[in-house]
Amino acid sequence: MNFLLDTSNGLTIGIAELGGRLDSQNSPTLQKVFNSWLQQTRFLVFDCSGLDFIDSSGLGAIVGCLRKTLEREGELKLAGLNAKVAMVFELTQAERLFSIFANTGDAVTSFSVVPDSKN
Amino acid sequence: MKTLLAIREREYEWVNQTFPSIHPLLLPICNKPFTEFLIDFAILAGSTEVRLLSDGPLAEVKEYCENGSRWGVQLSYATLQADDSLKDLLDKNRRFCGEDRIMIISGFCFINYDKQRGYASIMSQMPAGTCVSCPGGSIILAGNQETLSRNPPEIPLSLLPLDEIGSYFRISMETLENGSARYVLPGYGNEPECAIGRNVIISKTAEIIKPVSIGNNVQILSGAIIGPACIIGSNVIIDKESSVKKGVILDNTYIGEHLEVKGRIASGNMLIDPRSSASIAMEDPHLLSGIKAAGKSGTAGRKTVHAIAAAILITMQLIPFLLLFPLLKLQGRWCSGTTTCHADSSGKTFTLPTAEITGNSPAGSLAAAISLDRLPLLLRVIIGQLTIIGSSPIPASGETGDKPSAKSGYRPAVFSYAEAEDWPVNSSDAAIVERYYTIHSTPLNDIGLTMKALLNKLYEHNAA
Repeated sequence: MNFLLDTSNGLTIGIAELGGRLDSQNSPTLQKVFNSWLQQTRFLVFDCSGLDFIDSSGLGAIVGCLRKTLEREGELKLAGLNAKVAMVFELTQAERLFSIFANTGDAVTSFSVVPDSKN
Repeated sequence: MKTLLAIREREYEWVNQTFPSIHPLLLPICNKPFTEFLIDFAILAGSTEVRLLSDGPLAEVKEYCENGSRWGVQLSYATLQADDSLKDLLDKNRRFCGEDRIMIISGFCFINYDKQRGYASIMSQMPAGTCVSCPGGSIILAGNQETLSRNPPEIPLSLLPLDEIGSYFRISMETLENGSARYVLPGYGNEPECAIGRNVIISKTAEIIKPVSIGNNVQILSGAIIGPACIIGSNVIIDKESSVKKGVILDNTYIGEHLEVKGRIASGNMLIDPRSSASIAMEDPHLLSGIKAAGKSGTAGRKTVHAIAAAILITMQLIPFLLLFPLLKLQGRWCSGTTTCHADSSGKTFTLPTAEITGNSPAGSLAAAISLDRLPLLLRVIIGQLTIIGSSPIPASGETGDKPSAKSGYRPAVFSYAEAEDWPVNSSDAAIVERYYTIHSTPLNDIGLTMKALLNKLYEHNAA
């Protein structure tokens, strides 16, 4: 899981690349590293373009990340979901919880409308 | 007229890849297998004999369609070569064709017909040649016109290729929305666009929005919303608070709680997007999973549990049997015999011992109340010929000598589920109860239901 900070639009936005499978095997890792990402910024994008598979554990981990972000009054957006992963979000109605963008660029740009940032 | 249905394996290969558990020729369209639509049309066009030709396996289709007597036609099967021309097909099936007019329906295509049109008359006036075609399929007539006509009429039908998941979804939805007047579709309903099969349980708080087609053995639990435009196959459970809109849920599928299936096809644990053809196999059984079809799973476990239960019952009945049997035999109240019954739905039979306790003596009433007449059958459970509870054995001859349907989940047993639920055992309604439990009952449930059947018999004889 690569993580980088993007400051191109004046905000510090953390972009995390999720790849391969996100299931019960590796979702605890995501939850663990997410805390360190959240200490660097409260505006985050999960780039899911490399994510091939997600199960309910993975979904639970992402929702857990969203909850932590909201507790810090931040935002977590998702980008680049492929058709398979999008179907899981749609099936479980988790898509209603997230702002989902076609690609990371669109997700980063969408943060610029935030009028007041603490980071 | 006679009909040749020629379908090549390469034409339906995509079905094998998308739905590995479904035979492509039995692919359900609005809960009706694909081949049935072709047979229906052949009959409407005036055919009395139909031959299905394919270069793929046909065993499952043969098991389902049998000899066509269900539709009142003679149905036969033969093979073809993938590159056979029309002439090759006619030559290879010369004996079947004889001197009759032949309609050749070729390709894996859906025939968009209307059952209310007089196709037999139209077809008889059509000259030989291609009547209608589409990419990948055609309907061709061979042989002379049966009725001479200067201006052959227009044929009110079209062919739609079933060449990918998107076309399958589109055709299924169109059939659901406009098909009740055009085709013979399965299910019952007291209003149009709503067909419901047998043994369907719908919670009071579930909502059904037309048009819908629901198969057999379906449970729709509380708060679920089905429709509009929804096809639910057979042996499906839609769990609490889930919704299915403009979707197809194929047979043997479980949809978990609080889910939304919208514009998708679900089959077992597969969720498919018909627009992009993307599919995902769910690994979480609480989200989406397959339901094992009756009679295909847990057979060994069930047999073991049933054999143990039978052994315990035999032990319990042995002493009363040793005391009462000689007495009843001497009084002439114990009549034993044999009967030949169907062993399964394949047509195999076996001979079962029968025992009947006649008259109204106290000993006879006691023996009947504790089901001593079933003791000879219990021994057959030990050797695995019968189950302890299941379907009433169907006699292989006489008035009820029909072979049980392959889909009925027939499992001959000492006690029937209908006896456990105190349904009239000889009523056709009992078949619904038996079908329900052959699908839903676990081996442990079976033990509880056996006890219930025993208690029902005890109560029945005490009351008498």
